[in-house]
Amino acid sequence: MSVPVALVTGGTKGIGKEIARSFSKKGMRVYVNFSSDRDAAAAARQELPAETVQADVSDQEQVSAMIDAIVQKEGRLDILVNNAGIIRDGLLMLMPAKNWHRVMEVNLNSVFFCSKAALRPMVGNRWGRIINIISPSALMGRAGQTNYAAAKGGVLSLTRSLAREVARYNITVNAVSPGVIETELTRDMGEKIRREFISMIPAGRFGTPEEVARAVSFLASDEAGYITGEYLSVDGGLT
Amino acid sequence: MEKGTLIEELRSLIIKSLKLEGIMPADIDPAAPLFGSGLGLDSIDALELVVGLEKTYGIRIPDEDVGKEAFASVDALADYILKNIK
Repeated sequence: MSVPVALVTGGTKGIGKEIARSFSKKGMRVYVNFSSDRDAAAAARQELPAETVQADVSDQEQVSAMIDAIVQKEGRLDILVNNAGIIRDGLLMLMPAKNWHRVMEVNLNSVFFCSKAALRPMVGNRWGRIINIISPSALMGRAGQTNYAAAKGGVLSLTRSLAREVARYNITVNAVSPGVIETELTRDMGEKIRREFISMIPAGRFGTPEEVARAVSFLASDEAGYITGEYLSVDGGLT
Repeated sequence: MEKGTLIEELRSLIIKSLKLEGIMPADIDPAAPLFGSGLGLDSIDALELVVGLEKTYGIRIPDEDVGKEAFASVDALADYILKNIK
């Protein structure tokens, strides 16, 4: 098989960046998508190494153009990691509708657009891996995250259904659910909140982006070819 | 391209890309529905056919609204390709 080509959305920071790094280490051709942070993209391009591609994943035209360009250049796209996501936390009763819609667009619609475009080259090659990053919020619920939980729950249901559509073509579709992971976000959360979070995690610590990347890497490999429509929690026992 | 030639090509392409065993090109009735009856193809088979047709003829079948028209029969598919070929 030729060198696999992978695309990681929202891949210039945090968990996405670590996933891209693990693919790069395995010798894959890696593309990382970003929406606006050019400095982070430039850093990732150097550090991983990887190609960077700018697109708003909630915009179908931009997604099609991005994926067509990759396929044009590489002749293939083997692995798609739908990692891009945003949060707009707030209690439902007081949630502005725009915060509901934006979270749906970026976390759920994007998975539809990216998967739709990526499936053509995968069906053509009769091999593919789609891995969707979800969240404990989708599995157990979380106050203040009705929008995010609904979007991620939607992604999980999409994962299970799409898996059944494309299994015949050697394409697997799975989800990974990272728990509380050490990233910029959690580093800045303050000692009290940190301790509160840790008290909920049976493993007694946060996870690392590397630990999430290893699970994604496994699902992207040939070894996981008979696993599809599943989710894998990497959360220290949280859910 | 002449339509008769295209229909012959399509019959072979369908057999090859969907790996239909024991079916000869002449067994595919150009007027019969491609999916749901006759050849026993299901909608998931159509995914591979879409990709094969797009690659071979440089056409685009973006979604099922178009797909329904194009996949009505081999005859309809030939018309669709002739209309959209680049």
